[in-house]
Amino acid sequence: MTDPPTVSPTRPQGLAFLELGERLRQRGQLEAAAMVATAGLAHYPALADAHDLLGRIRADQGEDAGAIAAWHAALECDQGHVGALKGLAFVAFRARDFSAAERYLELAVGESPHDPSLLAALDRVRATQPAATPDAAPALADLSSGLLLFDAQGMRLTGGVGPGTSADTADAASAEGAGLAREASRVTRLLGLGEWQYLLVEGTEFRFAVLPIADGATLLVSRPGTTPSGRLLAMASRAGIAARHWLERLT
Amino acid sequence: MSLERWQQILREITGVPGVRGALIVSAEDGLVVAESAMEHVATSDVAALAAALVVRARQTAHVAHGAPPRSVHLAASGGVLLAMAGPDPLWLVALADSRAELGRLRVLLGDFAVSLA
Repeated sequence: MTDPPTVSPTRPQGLAFLELGERLRQRGQLEAAAMVATAGLAHYPALADAHDLLGRIRADQGEDAGAIAAWHAALECDQGHVGALKGLAFVAFRARDFSAAERYLELAVGESPHDPSLLAALDRVRATQPAATPDAAPALADLSSGLLLFDAQGMRLTGGVGPGTSADTADAASAEGAGLAREASRVTRLLGLGEWQYLLVEGTEFRFAVLPIADGATLLVSRPGTTPSGRLLAMASRAGIAARHWLERLT
Repeated sequence: MSLERWQQILREITGVPGVRGALIVSAEDGLVVAESAMEHVATSDVAALAAALVVRARQTAHVAHGAPPRSVHLAASGGVLLAMAGPDPLWLVALADSRAELGRLRVLLGDFAVSLA
């Protein structure tokens, strides 16, 4: 048996602290692992892998809030960090928030589309979701929810455009989204198509649906490109109901 | 690709039940590049409105996701407007009523849009 690795929390040598912290974590020496990760972060605060390591340690310690904070910090450094997305999915799954787990796994699959473990995890979450939470209320008041509610003036009411995005991005998307909603309404009116129901916009790595919720309020539901269009529209329909309830409580 | 081939593509799209018409538009200026017969609506109007919608969708996609869209699908109680990106600045647009088989139409438009070059 070898001696445990020497912990030098104040002087991480290069990025070796990542390996050391992970080894300590795997051995169950969580306090020492946390010291190594924290000291490393003091030297490399913009290193997503270091935040990810701390997230795994906190999750092992049962400190889900700390883990979530660490993984969000990792996403701020690297919006597509697969480890952070997997970690957030794990914590969400453990909390039985299956729709959030699915959302994070979809983003992870978008970053690493050929990872069989991610694909299997996504299948497992999708298989679990309908039976476990048939009427789960989407978390509107969350920047990472991918649900953005805004008014006719383009002011954000609540929500955001997805994990790793800022309030500034949500505000800018609200301003543009209101213009898009006005255009959708104008097109349907001038072409005699009746009332507009939804607008589906798809790119290579994203899709979003925009739908009118109430007078002057519009919902934008954003998901990675791996989400099937039909599934996105079903989510948007459920989120629309939650948004109407949110507006009713507001007024 | 020749104008004749474009017209053939538009004829194939309008052959889908429920499709009222199809056209190729320039999203830069909203002008018609090629068109098929459109029922009860001026193709120039459809082109201008589709282009305006595409521009707005592009702006929103850029802000929210930092990337351009490749399709825009507007659904209303009385029909749908579908637009698929071809080689910049061209978009392939179809106007259809509520009876149209949307899945089939989306596949067809997607296949043809990339072949517009």
